[in-house]
Amino acid sequence: MKFLAILLILPAIALAEPATVIRATDLKQAPASDSDTVAALAEQTAVEVLERKSGWMRVKSVSGDGWVRMLALRLGGATAAKPGASGLSQMFNVARTGTSGTQVTTGVRGLDAEQIANAQPNPAELAKLEKFAADRDAAAGFATQGKLSATAVDYPK
Amino acid sequence: MKALLFVAGLAFAATAQAQFRMPSFDINKMVETVKNVGKAVKEIDEPEEIAIGKDVASRLLGAAPLVADARMQRYVNHVGRWLAAQTERPDLPWQFGVLDSPNVNAFAVPGGTIFITRGLLERMRNEAELAGVLGHEIVHVLRKHHLKAIQKGAQSSLAGDAMSMALKDRAGPARDKLIAFGTEMYSRGLDKGDELEADRLGIVIAARGGYDAYGLPSVLQTLQAISAQDSAIALMFKTHPAPGERLDALSEKMQPVLDTYSAQPQLADRFLRQIKK
Repeated sequence: MKFLAILLILPAIALAEPATVIRATDLKQAPASDSDTVAALAEQTAVEVLERKSGWMRVKSVSGDGWVRMLALRLGGATAAKPGASGLSQMFNVARTGTSGTQVTTGVRGLDAEQIANAQPNPAELAKLEKFAADRDAAAGFATQGKLSATAVDYPK
Repeated sequence: MKALLFVAGLAFAATAQAQFRMPSFDINKMVETVKNVGKAVKEIDEPEEIAIGKDVASRLLGAAPLVADARMQRYVNHVGRWLAAQTERPDLPWQFGVLDSPNVNAFAVPGGTIFITRGLLERMRNEAELAGVLGHEIVHVLRKHHLKAIQKGAQSSLAGDAMSMALKDRAGPARDKLIAFGTEMYSRGLDKGDELEADRLGIVIAARGGYDAYGLPSVLQTLQAISAQDSAIALMFKTHPAPGERLDALSEKMQPVLDTYSAQPQLADRFLRQIKK
């Protein structure tokens, strides 16, 4: 019986991703802000992500399982997800490992900085691109198939 | 009077002439040059925007061709065209292409051409995530972020009236310079403010199309978890604010919109059927 239970939770374990709480937030019973609060999670709490649902993530934490707002989490371990610091260290890393010193062989395709800067026109692929374009009616039919309906939403001020 | 104009024209045009080695001297051209100096900040109109975009798109396709999968290309075009129809520029010649590259990136080209890499597409989970990224790129076109940067840069790096020459003569050397400059910009990136604006408005466009508004934040979270040491994402990180910073900006300004439209469809099944991993 215990063995069976382990088998049943295996898929969830396989999905688990480490994440860190980047600002104090509530662990909720369900993925909704008006749901009951299971516990308050402090900044820098390490959790494991088990499931996603739009703006919420179901997590396993020392305070129990529940749902946390996605924007209060950063994927990765504690050191990787310090607020503010991550961007800076990423920039330094990119600067250090950046492609600017790399030797580029002429004619090699790719989307690194130098390859883009040295790209030559490709009219044959441009013609293909135009061929794949969809018209408005076709796109509207595609949206209907997916049960998507256009909604009026204003741009933020 | 004519002689005076000629002298003035010569003085203004000297730099451009030297740089582009125009073989024949033409009094009419000189007069026009004098006129153009006065309106150096001329707006690029829509046909010109589209024409520049096609030339830049052709170069980007020279860096990486399309994925040879017609079904995938049409699918991405359907999603993109549906989103573009919800905007203030619904009738541009919108076209969307998946570039055959493992790099994680997306590009918006003036006039309505949007590229996304296979590497980025393969890291997505559903159609709402695709809609979020395409929405972000569509905003760059709507707000002419690249076009303005090309124009600004070209005016300081191309001498005199070279900009108007580049627009008028689509086969000339000034045009070549303009397009090369416009393409190279994708290796350097836009202003941070343009990227953050594209994030905010891109979310709105995805929500207008009926998608779960959390698509773009989900992708940003995926990107944030990719190591900065991974060469596949080096250029994206170099040309954009860090994903963590973009997520912080969204949670500060867009939480109400995100939550209002979070129950809309994600269409994971349709996405996974079309994008064979």
